[in-house]
Amino acid sequence: MLDRSALGRTTPPTLNEVERGAIRRFAEALGDYNPIYFDAEYARASGYANVAAPPSFPISFAAGSDLRELVGVSSRNLLLGEVSFEYERPIVAGDRLLVTSRVSEISERPGPAGRVEVAVIEDEGRDEEGQVVFRARRSYVVRATRES
Amino acid sequence: MPPRKLYFENVRVGDELPAMAKAAIDRVQLARYAAATNDYNPLNVDEPAAKAVGMPSVVAPSTLALGFLGQLVTDWARGGQVKKSQARFTRMLWPGDTLVCKGRVSDRWGEGGRYYVELDVWAENQKGELVVRGTVLLKAFYSFEDETRFRTGQPPLIVTVPRQATLAAPPPAKAPPSREPELPPTKAAAGKAAKGTPARTPAKASKPAKSPKKGR
Repeated sequence: MLDRSALGRTTPPTLNEVERGAIRRFAEALGDYNPIYFDAEYARASGYANVAAPPSFPISFAAGSDLRELVGVSSRNLLLGEVSFEYERPIVAGDRLLVTSRVSEISERPGPAGRVEVAVIEDEGRDEEGQVVFRARRSYVVRATRES
Repeated sequence: MPPRKLYFENVRVGDELPAMAKAAIDRVQLARYAAATNDYNPLNVDEPAAKAVGMPSVVAPSTLALGFLGQLVTDWARGGQVKKSQARFTRMLWPGDTLVCKGRVSDRWGEGGRYYVELDVWAENQKGELVVRGTVLLKAFYSFEDETRFRTGQPPLIVTVPRQATLAAPPPAKAPPSREPELPPTKAAAGKAAKGTPARTPAKASKPAKSPKKGR
């Protein structure tokens, strides 16, 4: 059961330093060897300020927000249904982003096998000047148990 | 060698991105992805834990497929910037799955010297089943000249291009051509879980909206 009182709950800003090595490992885990993720010179020639982060890289920040703490259900019982991202600019190595996560929706809706519980979490990453760099929205449903 | 660029002037609505086939997902990849995302959900990396909740094996995190779509788009966009993306997961991903990522230009427009390209993107597994689909908004330079102007501090090239998809009738199907998602090939818990209705969509939308294809 989702924690009904979780709506609006917000994590304190967590500093995420975007490291080159972290970008490299993320790209390698995807099997994506685009040089913009590995080679700073190539990345600059492609229009990035430094080695770029893959578009889904902010996923790796989300770990800062423990889902059980946020919505009362642990990640193993939540199923990610939908995600969206908005980028003010590309995220690159060397960025220092303060990321906050906020529970923006706790609801219940009819599903194919009865009612499903839904939790939506919105993340926001700002640079140290306070400028928004990215926003993300993660929509989870509570996983049906074997009995249901 | 300078990277080749994608320019707005060369993009047309309906253009297809070259399909990208990924190697089969394996457990080593899941371990690396868990490390890279610092997310060690046992269902993704711990076989006994996954079986204990009724799954046939560990399951791959759906965001892995999102990463594949990012690769598809970034390879194609060559210098174009991803401004927005949205994706919905329609089926669970398993070790052994071989995904093919596809995409198509759904719209393009330019105003005030800014040029945007909108894409429909999706991925199918080895059975041709849709596992994720979404949209991506890219920003690109109009042309080499426009980029050169930007780099030399001059004002952008201004060409007003109305949204195309609204002009063309009928608009390109929002949903990609693929089979409708069904229950994953598992029983009990995994199957139910995969049917979870993604948020922000009406309950019915767990099937891709592609009524035009239904009658076939």
